Amino acid sequence: MSRPRASPRPRTPPVLVCLLAALALVPGERGRAEEGADARGTIRGRVEVRRATPEDGARPSVAALGMPAPRGTADRRTSVVYLESAPRGAFEVPPPGRAALDQRDETFVPHVLAVTVGTTVSFPNSDRVYHNVFSLSKTKRFDLGRYPRGASRSVRFDQPGVVRVFCEIHSHMSAFVLVFAHRYFATTDAAGRYRIDGVPPGRYTLAVWNEGEVRETRPVVVSEEGGVVELSFVVE
Amino acid sequence: MAVYVSWPSDATPANESRGVGAEKSDTLGPMAPSPAIFRRPAPTRRLRCGPLAVALGLAASILVPTPGRASEPLTFLGGRVRLGGEVSGTIAPDDKGFFNYSDYEISSLRLLRVDLAAEIRLGRRAAVLGELRSDNLSAPRVYAAYLRVRPWLDRELDLQVGLVPPVFGAWPRRRYGYDAWLPSLPLAYQYLTTLRHDAVPASAEQLVAQRGRGWLVSHPVGDPYAAAGLPLVSGERWDAGLQVRVGREPVSVAVALTQGSPSYPTVRDDNGGKQLSARLAWVPGPQLTVGLSGATGRFLSREVTDVLPAGSGVDFPQDALGADVEFARGRWILRGEAVWSRFRLPSLDETRLDRPLDAVGLYGELRCKLRPGLHIAGRVERLDFERIDSRLGGQTWDAPVTRLEVGGGYALRRQLLLKASWQHNWRDGGRVRENDLVTAQVLLWF
Repeated sequence: MSRPRASPRPRTPPVLVCLLAALALVPGERGRAEEGADARGTIRGRVEVRRATPEDGARPSVAALGMPAPRGTADRRTSVVYLESAPRGAFEVPPPGRAALDQRDETFVPHVLAVTVGTTVSFPNSDRVYHNVFSLSKTKRFDLGRYPRGASRSVRFDQPGVVRVFCEIHSHMSAFVLVFAHRYFATTDAAGRYRIDGVPPGRYTLAVWNEGEVRETRPVVVSEEGGVVELSFVVE
Repeated sequence: MAVYVSWPSDATPANESRGVGAEKSDTLGPMAPSPAIFRRPAPTRRLRCGPLAVALGLAASILVPTPGRASEPLTFLGGRVRLGGEVSGTIAPDDKGFFNYSDYEISSLRLLRVDLAAEIRLGRRAAVLGELRSDNLSAPRVYAAYLRVRPWLDRELDLQVGLVPPVFGAWPRRRYGYDAWLPSLPLAYQYLTTLRHDAVPASAEQLVAQRGRGWLVSHPVGDPYAAAGLPLVSGERWDAGLQVRVGREPVSVAVALTQGSPSYPTVRDDNGGKQLSARLAWVPGPQLTVGLSGATGRFLSREVTDVLPAGSGVDFPQDALGADVEFARGRWILRGEAVWSRFRLPSLDETRLDRPLDAVGLYGELRCKLRPGLHIAGRVERLDFERIDSRLGGQTWDAPVTRLEVGGGYALRRQLLLKASWQHNWRDGGRVRENDLVTAQVLLWF
């Protein structure tokens, strides 16, 4: 299979991701697929993030009386690959689930969490210090207040879109929760690999999201016979 | 004993600049301050060059909707250089009682403040940190500039040298806008008393005659120009020197040896004395922080001590003790702080100021988050002064002040906040004894 021409789209705001996710509820011409098709394909590949990412998100600690406490490092190379349009029927039974976004060493772990609509995400505090998780994103506004180590609070994400999560006490802490209206997405692993299984035959647009922006989109075709489609990306 | 008084020959009456010369103290009379109500020419300069524009530009860039960057500081050289800061604008009606002034010209409620902080990381053991601040478009001044060193990576021991953050108390290390729930500053760290570092009264009568007008006060001994008095502890300036912190949690101790005094931090030593200050912090759990502070340092400058009669001495310290507490749970945070300060003045024949002058500042504040991005807050404060005897009768050496402030804030975006408050002040002296102020503040941090 020949490699489709890349169409880089840097600096796309997450709100667009939200819109795209919502638009995906109405399958486009290329996204239509035969319901009930037995053959299912797999889209897999690798996302290589080459652009420099800061070591941490801390601001100048001018008022501190010494070196800040050691912190974890957010994995800002994690990307999410997803279908901008999904097969009809993909949204009929969104699988409600549970996920966790831990707070450890003054870092949200994982830095990027992708879930489907209806998922309840818990935010346990594994640090000795207080945290105060909140978001002012239009997709989901919440504020969990301050709670200590061992305690946890939960939020149900009931709309598709991108939710930026912060800690009110530690301004360097941030995370993303991407809420999809379908299940055709995957988060890259430590090596940058991703895999989306069970994709019905059809023509789609595959998008790569990293650190708040859609970095690239490409058309992808899953043949009637299913099979594996390899698509790799480079985020500069 | 003679008191040496120097009078200016080319001074300009203050009432030409602000009409303050027309104001009368409630105790003006035979023992009123000398007629030398003159004001030193304002040192502020209009900003000509680019730092302010750069800071405003950086701040404005935050407003550009680039969500991937919204939580990140501005970094260069692979993260070794970091920039952050605040831009805040605060408006309020004219504070005719000068309750919120931290300088003769600067009110914390009528202020456009641009603050730019930088950190240059020199490996894991060291960093250079600095902060520039501009108030009301004045030329930026260096608020902080120091070297931070951790000699041993595996030990909780840090050294800081330069213009360093104060170890005393809790408030002075908080960021002006980001960490404050209300637009104003606590009285103990901002309110201007009638004491100055460069001039002293010749008698108790001269001191009490100026009760309630610390925003522009003159004393006959030392610098004769009228100028702003001193707060109990300065929350607006940092001191220069060496600082050491040992430990982290649950117990840490920070000690500093610096040039100035709690009320008058300075870069250059102006009296040959040093300030020794320390703070013990105890954090038994994430919900509670308790701090105990102490500081002592000469506060009178050579400008005063050089004109004192022989034998009067040069060691006139300010001693301060502080206690602070913060308790947080869920959507609530409670903070309280107490500051006790003692000033020693020259014991001249006429003064009857042979006892040190004590003052106490207290505040308690509470914040509650009602919903995401929305909070309400309130603060109650009291600033009290010791009673002294004079021929005008027994009264406090400055006019006690009580303040109540309630307000709230709303985050339009994470880094763009609006705050508003209503403040009521009572003062037992001065021309304006009571006022109400409604304040609005917009804050952008990055």
